Amino acid sequence: MRMQNLIVDVPVATNSRRATRPRAWVRGLFLLLVGAPLMFSPVLAHGQAAATPSAAPSVVQTDVKLVMGGVTVKNNSLGTLSVVGSSLQFATAKTKVEVEASSILDISTNEDSRQDITGVAHLATAAIPYGGGRVLSLFSHKVDVLTVEFKDANGGYHGAVLVLPQGQAASFKKQLVAMGAKASHPLAEDAPANK
Amino acid sequence: MQHHTRTVVSVVCRIAICFCALFLMVGYLMVQPSAGDSKGAKRVSASSIQIEPTDPGDTPIPPDFRISIYENLIMQIEKTGKFQHVYRSGDKDAANAPDLVTLRTTAQSFTQGSQKKREVTTVMGATSLTLKVRITDHAGQTIVDRDVQGKVRFMGENLGATYDFSKKVAKIVRDTF
Repeated sequence: MRMQNLIVDVPVATNSRRATRPRAWVRGLFLLLVGAPLMFSPVLAHGQAAATPSAAPSVVQTDVKLVMGGVTVKNNSLGTLSVVGSSLQFATAKTKVEVEASSILDISTNEDSRQDITGVAHLATAAIPYGGGRVLSLFSHKVDVLTVEFKDANGGYHGAVLVLPQGQAASFKKQLVAMGAKASHPLAEDAPANK
Repeated sequence: MQHHTRTVVSVVCRIAICFCALFLMVGYLMVQPSAGDSKGAKRVSASSIQIEPTDPGDTPIPPDFRISIYENLIMQIEKTGKFQHVYRSGDKDAANAPDLVTLRTTAQSFTQGSQKKREVTTVMGATSLTLKVRITDHAGQTIVDRDVQGKVRFMGENLGATYDFSKKVAKIVRDTF
């Protein structure tokens, strides 16, 4: 009885295997079609990021004043400073200037020796009668100064001075140094580690 | 009586005219030597200049000041109109310039003042910097070797001292070339 059952069962089993073979093949093909793009998707994402460096800026700061050295941008222009791809970009409403991180000869911030640079704000306060502007200017707004020394395509030396809101310059320096920009002074947070 | 008054007036007028003429003569003679000097001064001819970055030397001059000096110098030297080309340091095209002169600046002293102090006291907080300015020709012969000071005394940003300095250097360039 058992044997019969066995005999009977075996063909049934083989038949069912035969029946499921095409299904498994289809399933495999389906999994391959669905899985393959998923498997390669991170690689593609990285590839896209590398191919289009101007995708999304990693560090952005608005209301940055380019005091001088903006090549095509006028001195004392207000604009947005960002690290886009592997370059530092300063853009105003009309124009923009871009400096490759690899062409930066030195980048520094003045975290320690902050100074007041007042432009439009200074003029505004100066307009206040009875010397009120002077009293207002005593409440100094502390700023970060980012200096970038770089060379142009022809090898010519340039320097740019940028004024950012307090505490913002270091992130730009850090990002650009990581991208290959040179810095004669180590980053503020790296300094104690070196000692 | 009327005739006498007319005579007096005419004499006074003549004397006044004589004085005016005398003043004009003296003025002309005072101006003449300086004009002669500028004509007689040996002016150097050069079609292009290359400006090197400021050497801080032993002076603790902040990088923003160094850059400001450099960029202001480029701007002011271009404004003089004395050169066909104003090359930046490292510019490959400068190598082909036949009569290139080179401008070098070395920091001698630097006192960073305070804009706040200047605005409040109007006598304290002046920013001052002194740099040695050297202009040499293609063969390395010195054309200019001077100490130039830039200052911002009363109102204005600290970086104004670099503007003052570069204006003075531009004047030296105007007088030399």
